[in-house]
Amino acid sequence: MVQLRPRASRVPASAMVDEGQPASEEEEAAEHGLLLGQPSSGAAAEPLEEEDGEGDDEFDDEAPEELTFASAQAEAREEERRVRESVRRDKTLLKEKRKRREELFIEQKKRKLLPDNILEKLTTAGQTNIKKSSGKLKEATLQKKKEEYEKGSVSKNAKEKVQKVQSVGQNKSYWALRLKDQDLRDSRQEAAKAFIQNSLYGPGTNRTTVNKFLSLENKRLPVKKAAAQFLNSAWGTQKKQNAKRFKRRWMVRKMKTSKK
Amino acid sequence: MGEFKVHRVRFFNYVPSGIRCVAYNNQSNRLAVSRTDGTVEIYNLSANYFQEKFFPGHESRATEALCWAKGQRLFSAGLNGEIIEYDLQALNIKYAVDAFGGPIWSMAISPHGSQLLVGCEDGSLKLFQITLDKIQFERNFDRQKSRILSLSWHPSGTHVAAGSIDYISVFDVKSGSAVHKMLVDRQYMSVSKRKCIIWGVAFLSDGTVISVDSAGKVQFWDSATGTLVKNHLIANADVQSIAVSDQEDSFVVGTAEGTVFHFQLVSVTSNSSEKQWVRTKPFQHHTHDVRAVAHSPTALISGGTDTHLVIRPLMEKVEVKNYDAALRKITFPHRRLISCSKKRQLLLFQFAHHLELWRLGSTVATGKNGDTLPLSKDADHLLHLKTKGPENIICSCISPCGSWIAYSTTSRFFLYRLNYEHDNISLQRVSKMPAFLRSALQILFSEDSTKLFVASNQGSLHVIRLLEGSFKHLHTFQPQSGTVESMCLLAVSPDGNWLAASGTSAGVHVYNIKHLKLHCTVPSYNFPVTALAIAPNTNNLVIAHSDQQVFEYSIPDKQYTEWSRTIQKQGFHYLWLQRDTPITHISFHPKRPMHILLHDAYMFCIIDKSLPLPNDKTLLYNPLPPTNESDVIRRRTAHAFKISKIYKPLLFMDLLDERTLVAVERPLDDIIAQLPPPIKKKKFGT
Repeated sequence: MVQLRPRASRVPASAMVDEGQPASEEEEAAEHGLLLGQPSSGAAAEPLEEEDGEGDDEFDDEAPEELTFASAQAEAREEERRVRESVRRDKTLLKEKRKRREELFIEQKKRKLLPDNILEKLTTAGQTNIKKSSGKLKEATLQKKKEEYEKGSVSKNAKEKVQKVQSVGQNKSYWALRLKDQDLRDSRQEAAKAFIQNSLYGPGTNRTTVNKFLSLENKRLPVKKAAAQFLNSAWGTQKKQNAKRFKRRWMVRKMKTSKK
Repeated sequence: MGEFKVHRVRFFNYVPSGIRCVAYNNQSNRLAVSRTDGTVEIYNLSANYFQEKFFPGHESRATEALCWAKGQRLFSAGLNGEIIEYDLQALNIKYAVDAFGGPIWSMAISPHGSQLLVGCEDGSLKLFQITLDKIQFERNFDRQKSRILSLSWHPSGTHVAAGSIDYISVFDVKSGSAVHKMLVDRQYMSVSKRKCIIWGVAFLSDGTVISVDSAGKVQFWDSATGTLVKNHLIANADVQSIAVSDQEDSFVVGTAEGTVFHFQLVSVTSNSSEKQWVRTKPFQHHTHDVRAVAHSPTALISGGTDTHLVIRPLMEKVEVKNYDAALRKITFPHRRLISCSKKRQLLLFQFAHHLELWRLGSTVATGKNGDTLPLSKDADHLLHLKTKGPENIICSCISPCGSWIAYSTTSRFFLYRLNYEHDNISLQRVSKMPAFLRSALQILFSEDSTKLFVASNQGSLHVIRLLEGSFKHLHTFQPQSGTVESMCLLAVSPDGNWLAASGTSAGVHVYNIKHLKLHCTVPSYNFPVTALAIAPNTNNLVIAHSDQQVFEYSIPDKQYTEWSRTIQKQGFHYLWLQRDTPITHISFHPKRPMHILLHDAYMFCIIDKSLPLPNDKTLLYNPLPPTNESDVIRRRTAHAFKISKIYKPLLFMDLLDERTLVAVERPLDDIIAQLPPPIKKKKFGT
């Protein structure tokens, strides 16, 4: 869309001076209108502004400048090139970042694993010992539980492995844990306790709080009394603590000032 | 009697654990009660319902079933998957056998007493053979789909009924396969999403299976055909327990609302031979779920989440209708959980997994009889000592000077030294305690705090000398040859010469500490000892028994005192003998040798040996008459037993010095306030 330049008036110079302000105001308004009304690209607006400034001086009615197709094309190509360059740069930056992170991860993983020679030894020995070790572990469980009740203390089984070991070979992965850590956290026992809790106190059971239960009688007396646990002493503990601390500090301050 | 200032202590936050299982043994009239923290207590019902033995609890042991086997053997099974046998003589656990079926939900012993059946989490029923000293796995029955929650043997031992979730199966013992599978409706004649859990089954000899479930129904099934015969809807909440009497003419069920129903087999009309089961009596003695019931020949026993043990004798079965036929409610412990250091005014409270040390407050005000004096210094919580490990604390004690604290669990013994400097205390543990001190039943310090006496559950008594920061084992008194008898109560004389120890069966032994040998034995009485104490200057041993008899024995003379003989000849007042709770502590006044101070849960009494004894016609409980009454009347009505019921329920009462008493109370409401939620009750107008 062609923007029409605001035309300068054909008034003589003196009048021009007087009306310079209104004219400039008009131009400003026009500029504003330009800026507000029609969004135009900054590049296009610039030459227009420059020309506006000059437009005061030369009140020739000039035709808009001619932009040849070639120059416009050149400009557009410049634009495109610039954009492409920036995108390429971004891509390379990202790629580099990702590469660095990968390397970091590989290094960390390498640090975690034991040195290669030990791993090799383990994989060759581990293949044959997998079945044997699981059997031993079960026996160890039995033995341990019996011994616990006899001796009253947990006996450490020398066969137990302590480290977490990852096998390097095929997709087999296993790790050995100490039975001492597992003893009191049996998942089946937890599930059983959860079952009892759910069936007695879970959703669908008709339970109420002890406070409400004990207050039922109070509600039916001829002279109604308050609930059994009317005061909630657990309310606002933080606030009460803060208040106590403030009171103590205030007292100290008061003592100091009164002494002076 | 004198005037005393009384420290009323209510900061002992004692909450007992709920009762989970109850098992009654007919031959010895004993009741085994297991609680949710793993403690198992044995009550002797013929000795005035006294708790004579107990096994301390363990965090991982969640008992779900308790049974008596032939020959006074006690078995329990729980959610940790193990079957445990208890040794009733040595008061420890004989052995634990893992059933390898996951958590065990139910256990039943065959009527012949030779086989034991457990129902496990994975749906399998495992049969064990009970041998002379162990149990041995025999075989598995057919595995079911869901967990077996209740079991019952047919009186002939051929069939077993197992209740699970939504169905009941009847098994044939010989083959181990399920003969019938009876499906239970989820809700009484309607549809419900919640699964129906069969909490209890009972197998009668005519082939009827009685089941109680979580929908509030009691159902009668015919095991020959596998069909439902009769359906009773008795509650809006779960019915959680059932127990059948030996004659099979009555059974009792307990519900989650706290109601216990009694069903009886009565004839349809007065002279017909046809009988039917009728719900006869409801009892509302509990506020929370009743998770365990038992039926003895003359009484109904129930226990639940509200921690009371209620024994209700049935009127029609009781022969002599005297005070024995009244309702018994056991709420407070029958042992002492509090020890006191008189010199420093400290109290040591024993909980299941920790100890608390408090210093009593003080007041400078004075007042007259009945006034409440304001505290100038509040009670101070000095120490909170947590025990390591999953076991419960069995017993604890603080020395009279306040510098030593000792406590014992099943596997270890702990001794701590306390140092006080300007209101701060520091704790130091004495390490390397010898192994023979563990599993102590009673710990006591001597009056001058130089010696420590430990009664172990093997029957031996250890004397240890305490030095600054360390100890030296002086002597061990071994039990009489052949018997393993656990010593339950200890008392030491204030001058440090005599030590009295009472066991469970033989009389009270008195040992001479200076010469380290047995001095004499008080003749045994057929009721267990509940409290023991030695008087300061006269060295009279005062013994209180569970049938409320009090004896006084003179140690230097080796015979009962005159006063004791007089009162035995006359007999105690009938109201004194009808008290429910046992005397748990006896103490003396340092300046008045004629006074004995003792207390039980609902009263405390000062016995003045110089005053005349009351006979059955006089008023036992006579508080001080008004002062405008003439002296003559007061002298006429005064008798030796001065009873006060002001402070109740009392857990501990002692004389701190000549003018001060300390009374530790535990109001029942404070215990109830910390229990799990009960079932909602809808009452009209609320």
